[in-house]
Amino acid sequence: MNLLDYVPGDSFLHRLNPVMKLLAAFLYGIACILCGSVLMELFYIVLMILISSFAGLQKRALRLTRNLLVLGLIMFLLQLLFVRTGDPLLVIGGFCVFTVGGLKSALLLSLRIVATMLPLMLLFAITRMNDLCGALVKRLHVPYRYAFIVTTAFRFVPLFTTEFHDIEDAQKSRGVEYDTGNIFHRIRLIVPLFVPLLISSMKKVDAGAMSAQLRGFNLRTVDSGYHEYPFRKEDAVCLVFLAAVLAAAVVSMVF
Amino acid sequence: MLKFDHVSYAYPGAAHTVNDLSFVVHPGEIVALIGSNGAGKSTVSRLANGLLRPDSGHVYVDGEDTGKVRTSAIAKKVGFLFQNPDRQICQNTVREEVAFGPQVQGMPEEEIRQWTEEMLETFELNGDWFPFTRSRGERQRIALASVLACKPKLVILDEPTTGLDYRECIRIMDYIMGLNRETGLTVLMVSHDMELVQEYAKRVMVLTDGRLVGEGPTGQIMKDMSILEQAHVLPAQIPMLALRFGERFSDVYTVEEMAEAIRREKRISSGAPIEKRAGTRDRKASKGKGGAQA
Repeated sequence: MNLLDYVPGDSFLHRLNPVMKLLAAFLYGIACILCGSVLMELFYIVLMILISSFAGLQKRALRLTRNLLVLGLIMFLLQLLFVRTGDPLLVIGGFCVFTVGGLKSALLLSLRIVATMLPLMLLFAITRMNDLCGALVKRLHVPYRYAFIVTTAFRFVPLFTTEFHDIEDAQKSRGVEYDTGNIFHRIRLIVPLFVPLLISSMKKVDAGAMSAQLRGFNLRTVDSGYHEYPFRKEDAVCLVFLAAVLAAAVVSMVF
Repeated sequence: MLKFDHVSYAYPGAAHTVNDLSFVVHPGEIVALIGSNGAGKSTVSRLANGLLRPDSGHVYVDGEDTGKVRTSAIAKKVGFLFQNPDRQICQNTVREEVAFGPQVQGMPEEEIRQWTEEMLETFELNGDWFPFTRSRGERQRIALASVLACKPKLVILDEPTTGLDYRECIRIMDYIMGLNRETGLTVLMVSHDMELVQEYAKRVMVLTDGRLVGEGPTGQIMKDMSILEQAHVLPAQIPMLALRFGERFSDVYTVEEMAEAIRREKRISSGAPIEKRAGTRDRKASKGKGGAQA
């Protein structure tokens, strides 16, 4: 299963208003970006994994964390070697390998990548894109055209991921090895794959747009949907929780 | 050439897609794998070229266990033609596309150049074309030329003629059959098109829920309604009609054979002398689907 696929369920998280879920993912991400403490960043990661477990998604959260840590490791090394603020921490033969500031910055950035991506994964896992689109139209009065564009963009991410894997498989079956050689060699092999991906994406988008037009896309208004998506008590609880998360981030940034 | 030995495979989070599957495809054979949607046909073809590794059991290609070698090593022996050519084509010109596989597989430059031109001529392709804007049939031909440019011993065709018009369909299949006759290329075709299977395959394997429920010569399988129903596939029209006409039409498989059998029956009913029957079918002689052009 794709890490961005919707997982059906009836948990507290699933029942939240889609607009609240979107806001929560956004605010949680902002909190993680504002956070200035490594320990707090770690806490946000653990907290999000615990929150995911309410919807039975702890395994998926852990898997994503593991995958993102690989990316985080690359960022960690880059930051560690290139950020030169603070006192030297490791000096070899008179050359400062990395500094205190570099280490802190590297840790913060790599953990921040994981912490900001986890709420997005949760958003996709507990929200049907149709519901998100409907709620944006009904509750926030976003014109349907724009809500549709946003949700379609999200919906297409897993489709394009699958498409990309299929294209990659087609090349592997001709003998291409994507897991050997240096990084530049791999990039040289991967870049041509974006051409068929782009072309198939354009075809899909074109077909989708035509299909939508043929079914009266332009006639749709706020009243066209029958779901109302009211805000409930759970949403208020979520909002209070988010305010606390955000406040903690601001505190960690200031002190 | 290809051997599945008690192979089982399941996609993560799914029940078994392929379940304890065993079969052998001999060198030079043309075998069709049929079954309904979700029967596991595409999974079997991906297991056969090493894109998937079995959870249990072994897949052998030319005696080599696919679980122990890299996909790139298997690619030198197994060509895979995808249903959708757009997934395969990734170069800016047809010439580059055809040369891509041999380049990746380390063929010498001069040989690649000659071989590419030869393939372009054989498949009636212009090497300077931008492949993405060509017709569906031409794109499928480009994809096939690119696969066969790697000189595989076994070619797996995953729904090779889906979305093609009749002329392109025959053209593609005739190229492959020609190679089979001339070079002994082994062919495993995965198809829903029973007319195509009836016309080209010499042996058929029937897959249902990841299990092999039937296997045998094409004519025999095409007339075994119990197996075809189990696999939720419709039989080819001519064998189906022959089955309804009874015992005297038992060896009728193609349009020509049906026409001959009907003429024979007319002669019998009018009391005219009966000529010696044409005998066994010669499907190679009939061009096109059931020889409809005849």
